[in-house]
Amino acid sequence: MPNEIWVTAEQQGGKVKKIAFELLSAGIDFSKKTGQEVAALLLGSGLEEAAKSLTPFADKIYLLDDPSFTPYTSDAYLMSIASLLKEHQPSLLLGGATSTGKDLFPRLAMHLQTGYVPDCTGLSMGEDQKLTARRPLFGGKVFAEIAFSEARPQMATVRNNTFLVNENPNRSAKIIPVSPRIDPFSVRKKVTGFERAAGAKLDITEADIVVAAGRGIKAPENFKIMEDLADAINASVGTTRATVDEGWRDLKDQIGKSGKNISAKLYMAFGVSGAIHHVLGIGTCKTVVAVDTDPNALIFNYADYGIVGDLFQIVPALTDELKRVLSSE
Amino acid sequence: MGLPLTPDASLLTASDSLEVGMEIYVLVKQVPDPEAIIKVKSDLELEIENKYFTSFFDEIAVEAGLKLKEKFGGKVTVLTLDNRRVDALRRGISMGADEAVQIADPAFEGSDQFAVARTLAAYLKDKPFDLILTGRQAMDDDAGIVGPGVAECLGIPHVHSIISLEVDVQGREAKVTREVENGKEILTCPLPALFTCQKGLNSPRIPQVMNVMKAMKAQIKKVDLASLGLGPADVGSQALRVKVQKYLPPPKRPPVKMIKEDFPENVKTLVKLLREEAKVI
Ligand SMILES: Cc1cc2nc3c(=O)[nH]c(=O)nc-3n(C[C@H](O)[C@H](O)[C@H](O)COP(=O)(O)OP(=O)(O)OC[C@H]3O[C@@H](n4cnc5c(N)ncnc54)[C@H](O)[C@@H]3O)c2cc1C
Ligand SMILES: Nc1ncnc2c1ncn2[C@@H]1O[C@H](COP(=O)(O)O)[C@@H](O)[C@H]1O
Repeated sequence: MPNEIWVTAEQQGGKVKKIAFELLSAGIDFSKKTGQEVAALLLGSGLEEAAKSLTPFADKIYLLDDPSFTPYTSDAYLMSIASLLKEHQPSLLLGGATSTGKDLFPRLAMHLQTGYVPDCTGLSMGEDQKLTARRPLFGGKVFAEIAFSEARPQMATVRNNTFLVNENPNRSAKIIPVSPRIDPFSVRKKVTGFERAAGAKLDITEADIVVAAGRGIKAPENFKIMEDLADAINASVGTTRATVDEGWRDLKDQIGKSGKNISAKLYMAFGVSGAIHHVLGIGTCKTVVAVDTDPNALIFNYADYGIVGDLFQIVPALTDELKRVLSSE
Repeated sequence: MGLPLTPDASLLTASDSLEVGMEIYVLVKQVPDPEAIIKVKSDLELEIENKYFTSFFDEIAVEAGLKLKEKFGGKVTVLTLDNRRVDALRRGISMGADEAVQIADPAFEGSDQFAVARTLAAYLKDKPFDLILTGRQAMDDDAGIVGPGVAECLGIPHVHSIISLEVDVQGREAKVTREVENGKEILTCPLPALFTCQKGLNSPRIPQVMNVMKAMKAQIKKVDLASLGLGPADVGSQALRVKVQKYLPPPKRPPVKMIKEDFPENVKTLVKLLREEAKVI
């Protein structure tokens, strides 16, 4: 039977993303059942620090350190990863449901003619190395438990915060440098520029805490109180389609059916009515708080804690109260 | 297109645009509306309210195709694989697409997205396309597999989730912007290529009533499995690499706790609950 579980350890600027540690922690958990080794697949350039940070989380690190891997293009990644997979035949390949994961994994799965389940919110492993993946369908109105055929590897991308990072992973990976296998003729795309989003905040799909305001915030400049709240608790600021369509906020911060699905530990919504299109994007958040002036707002049906009140009064007070309790620790 | 203004410039431009007109294919799917009620009927059966619409991102893809056609000339063809519904094709035609193709065959029942992609690619492989456009993901399965899957089968480059698109027809190259977690990435990509379209790329036009009526009567070309050189083992349940074992209703949230105290006590209580009960701060 294949003796390895693989995780693509996505990094940016040499820093490994949190989702990679979450998935390696899941891999370690699975390996206790299956007796397999856990390997991280690390591609990029200048990866010394990245490899070091991964060492406790894996038994092996396949290191593909080459300038042609920065920035990411599916052209360069696909051939190198596919040929490594064919050589080592792991039973499982996991990656984050990130912009890179969603660009690469479906194409790689088609290339390998193997099974792939996207955007999972749960995975479980049998002793027979067979994975069962859980994912929402129809934006979360239904969930499906999905099994894989005999084709290997079993591939899945997983949402942030689906697994907890193991605090004591206790492995010590051997680094295995691998030379890239890129056919220069197959590299057709070129990244010619990058526009960094304003502010240093994490993307709403990556943040542990997301605070959002909808049309109830009334004007774009009023988002300042949301930014202040976010700063106090290291959160990112999300929003609804209504404010994006008004041009108040950037599309990248839109939560919901035509925006992003978030799986935050804490989601707080202010002046968000709770239209089905919006709440479909928050179904896998752990704790939800809603504040709205309308006691009948639908959002309260999806919340754990609710306050009927004026966001212009609540948000600044909440920011102060949070600052107060956090600084007294 | 930066041509020198000579006496016969109009002539040049005319023949030029004939030559450069783009062949664009847009993959479209009719899906349950996000407002449709969907329930688990049994482990392997869903009950879906009969409320369908053309997948949101697919309309964005159609719009992107039409904009290019308006600029460079050429043809937009909408293509769907669906045994029952052709409404997405009619929607495409009413928006301004030139042709519509339905791929349908009983053998497709139970296909996964990979089989759908293989089939669509089998249809496209000997067509003279410059560009294939799809939605970022279909609004029912939210998979995002078909686009990159088709590109892989055809051996052409793809970019997922684009929010801007410019084409240089002479240079046979596209310049696109892709959404990434902490910003926007700008790429160039030779044509032919496949792009999956994301909100922000454009706002799809609302078709005029006249065109909607015309689209109801438009001819739809029908294609079956055998004519694509595919067999029953390539599609349907025989080709599945993953299989639903069980549908489940979404996990239930406990009923909401409304904090009914007056301001500012309610804020203090909320913070206390978040720290001591939910333990998230
Ligand atoms: C195909 C399709 C896709 C869509 N996709 C999305 C999507 O991805 N994401 C999304 O969000 N929407 C989406 N929508 C739109 C969605 O249906 C709603 O229109 C939208 O979510 C409403 O945004 P909102 O809650 O900000 O505004 P509103 O519905 O106008 O709600 C504003 C709320 O603010 C409250 N309020 C007003 N003043 C205050 C105050 N001072 N303090 C506190 N509360 C106050 C009001 O009581 C109200 O509840 C989509 C729609 C369609 C048709
Ligand atoms: N049956 C189909 N027929 C035509 N196009 C499809 C079909 N299924 C998916 N697509 C296209 O592929 C995109 C992604 O679909 P999916 O992989 O199912 O999320 C959709 O937005 C459509 O553009």
